[in-house]
Amino acid sequence: MADLGSIRAETILMDGAQTSTRPWGSFRAKFILVVGGAVLLDLLISGGLALWNVQRLSRDATEEVGHGLEQASQDYIRTYANSTADQVSLLLGQVNSDVGVLAGVLQEQIDNPRRQADIGSAISTTSPGSIRLSFDPVGQWAQNAPGSPSVVSAWSYLLDADHSPRPDVQAEIQASAVLDLVAPSLLKSGSSKLQMYFIGPKERPIFRTAPYTDQAQTFDRLYPGHNEANFWDFFFPGLYETWQSWAAGAQTQPVADGITQTAPYTDAITGKLIVSFFHPLWSADRKNVAGTAGADITLDQLAQTVENVKVAESGFGFLAMSDGNVIAISKDGEKTIGLRSASDTKGTGVTGLERSLKGSSQPAITELANDLGDEIRHVMLDQGGAPVPYMVIMKKLPPVNLWEPGQVRKDAMSLGIVVPEREIYASLFAAQAKISDATNRIVLYQILAILFSLMIVTMAVLAVSKRITGGITALAGAARQIQTQDYSVRVAVTSRDEVGEASEAFNRMAEQISYHTENLEQLVEERTAEIEDAKEEISALNAQLERENRRLGTELAVAERIQMMVLPLASELSSSKDLEIAAYMSAADEVGGDYYDVLEADGRFKIGIGDVTGHGLESGVLMLMVQSVARALQEAGTKDPVKFLVDLNSALFKNIVRTRIDKHLTLAFLDYDGKDMLISGQHEEVIVVRANGALERIETMDLGLPIGLESDISPFVSTRRIKLEKDDIIVLHTDGVTEAENAEGELFGIERLCEEAVKLHDQSADRIAAGIIDRLMAYIGSHKIHDDITLLVLRHR
Amino acid sequence: MEIRDENFRIWAEGTTIYFDGVLRLAGPDAYAPIHSLAAAALHENHERVVFDLTGLEFLNSSGINLLAKLTIEARRQSSVQLVIKGTTQYPWQSKSLPNLKKLYPQLDLQLA
Repeated sequence: MADLGSIRAETILMDGAQTSTRPWGSFRAKFILVVGGAVLLDLLISGGLALWNVQRLSRDATEEVGHGLEQASQDYIRTYANSTADQVSLLLGQVNSDVGVLAGVLQEQIDNPRRQADIGSAISTTSPGSIRLSFDPVGQWAQNAPGSPSVVSAWSYLLDADHSPRPDVQAEIQASAVLDLVAPSLLKSGSSKLQMYFIGPKERPIFRTAPYTDQAQTFDRLYPGHNEANFWDFFFPGLYETWQSWAAGAQTQPVADGITQTAPYTDAITGKLIVSFFHPLWSADRKNVAGTAGADITLDQLAQTVENVKVAESGFGFLAMSDGNVIAISKDGEKTIGLRSASDTKGTGVTGLERSLKGSSQPAITELANDLGDEIRHVMLDQGGAPVPYMVIMKKLPPVNLWEPGQVRKDAMSLGIVVPEREIYASLFAAQAKISDATNRIVLYQILAILFSLMIVTMAVLAVSKRITGGITALAGAARQIQTQDYSVRVAVTSRDEVGEASEAFNRMAEQISYHTENLEQLVEERTAEIEDAKEEISALNAQLERENRRLGTELAVAERIQMMVLPLASELSSSKDLEIAAYMSAADEVGGDYYDVLEADGRFKIGIGDVTGHGLESGVLMLMVQSVARALQEAGTKDPVKFLVDLNSALFKNIVRTRIDKHLTLAFLDYDGKDMLISGQHEEVIVVRANGALERIETMDLGLPIGLESDISPFVSTRRIKLEKDDIIVLHTDGVTEAENAEGELFGIERLCEEAVKLHDQSADRIAAGIIDRLMAYIGSHKIHDDITLLVLRHR
Repeated sequence: MEIRDENFRIWAEGTTIYFDGVLRLAGPDAYAPIHSLAAAALHENHERVVFDLTGLEFLNSSGINLLAKLTIEARRQSSVQLVIKGTTQYPWQSKSLPNLKKLYPQLDLQLA
């Protein structure tokens, strides 16, 4: 136990030594790694999932909110564009309506020439300044004096040689005076109009305008040469002819509202950019043109409406003709979409404005000019070198008849609203930012929660690991202490688990080691004393044994001596003249009780063979008694073999009882009378080999009973007579021969004995005996001889 | 109750005493325990006591002396029927056992 304990302790110490050199190989480190790793993995997976979910939720929400807000924003802008377009349409509609009213009055005059004349004469009476023109020698034209509600000019080619208007012209002037009644009130009401006017038919294109301005003088300054050419051809080439073809039914109006509109141009009188609205007047038969009613509005009015557009922070509107020419836009808007003004290159008619989208410095706007369809577009505009996303919504206004020099065509203006996307989507971006903020906050909290959990778990794992592995660490430490031969160390048993059991076992082991180590000397002394005692005891026993052996040896020596002493002398064996007798006896290590004898008296030979049970002194004594009694009986002349045996048994039985020798013997006698051999007594088989080699085995079981068992054996004793011829042999043996064992424990047996006897039968008795013993000894080999071996060979001479 | 050695084994089962192996003990003293075991069976007033020797390969002369003594004791206890079962397979049995029958004719010797 002590040895085992020390080996175990050494093993633990080796582990301990390894542990101290590899801190990460320690049990606690492994425990922490495994548990901590598992928890960390768990936290990372659950935390990662949570974060992923939050991110996805945030993304979905942003998308949903974005979608909704974008839709709302676009709807708002679209509505805004529609409403602005309606405002512009309303403004233009009011101008159209005002022009229509004026045209209606004038057309009424034309359709009723009499009333026209009456009204003319009435006005000329009440306001002569309205129809009385005076010639201007510098301008070569005639114009009424200031003070009237309207100014009317008659160009040089409408004057007589005396510089007065031609009579038809004067009549037209007079008829047109009705404008004084209508125009001032129209100018005051409705939408703001720069001026309203009447232009006469091409034959007498007088120009009456309310309110009064120095219009002929202004024309002279701005449009030199106008006084020589026909008004219509000079200012609005092709327009009058187009109207004429409408009247003739050769062409139809592109837009059937009767109004024809000009593109913006610089007003001769005010110098402002204006747009003119004409309502042509028809002759009473409606077959020809009879002049026009008109109104001018400044672009400022349209621009104001458009420029009033204010979407988000810096969104703006613009109004463009179908050819992309922008007629209204704020200065900032003009800059934003990169418009460049160019001078009118057409050279004829009123001077227009060329500020087309097509000439924009922004490629996206140039592209926009090619298609002004009503839809929302997202374009990138270069702002100070950086592309900025903008949203552009176009809205087509109702179409009008637009005059361009040479023709009138259908045209529709488009209203455009331009908003920086970042502004329109400001709320969207704000919402997204809020969602993003919330997401980031949640993510942050989640990460903090994970870190916090990790910290708690780490602390818990450290604490628990210390508790769990504490016992093992203590064991390892204690084992190290034992290595340094400090056997007093004990481990505190703190738990009831396997570690606790190990600790208890360790303590017991340590105690044993301690006990054995500390008490080694005493133990050695004790053991030495014990050994000495044992030695003495053994010596005593040895001495006793020696004495016993000596005694036994002496006994055996005596027994052997007795055995040898009572055997017949060689001379006795060869004393018969008929029988050649050879005898062999070998005592076993522990002398057995074999007996043989050759007794001669009065020429009668009695050959005995027997085997006393057991061995030793008692057997020897018993044999001595048998020999003595046999000799006595022989000498007494007992010739009857049966009586001989019965008497011998009787004598021995009594002596056995007296001497308390707990033994008996088998005993057989062969009586030779010179002719036959008489066998009596029970012993081993008697082997007879005839001279011719024939074998006879004679069983002696029924010839007697072992001597010394019964007081009277007479009922069992009988004799067997066999003839003995010349050269016949008889072989007698004890069971030491047949029961001798070889190395395999097999018995020599009667068969081998008979075989050998037969084989050697024609030889001398001595040789037969020697041959059989040789064979027997060869058979036994080195195996133990258990019993005495006795062999007698008789040969008839 | 059993007496055994590396070479032999003797034991009692009910009223049968079995002898097995090779018995080559030195003398009456050595055979005394076996004698006690067998004699006790004879003195326990059984109707029938069996000595089964069918497994006994060899018995030396001291052992045969023991059997003879036991047979004589059985002869004195006439109330007990002693049965000895033997076998002709081992030569010593056919040679020695019939003597027991001579000592005590009422002995039931079964040599198979």
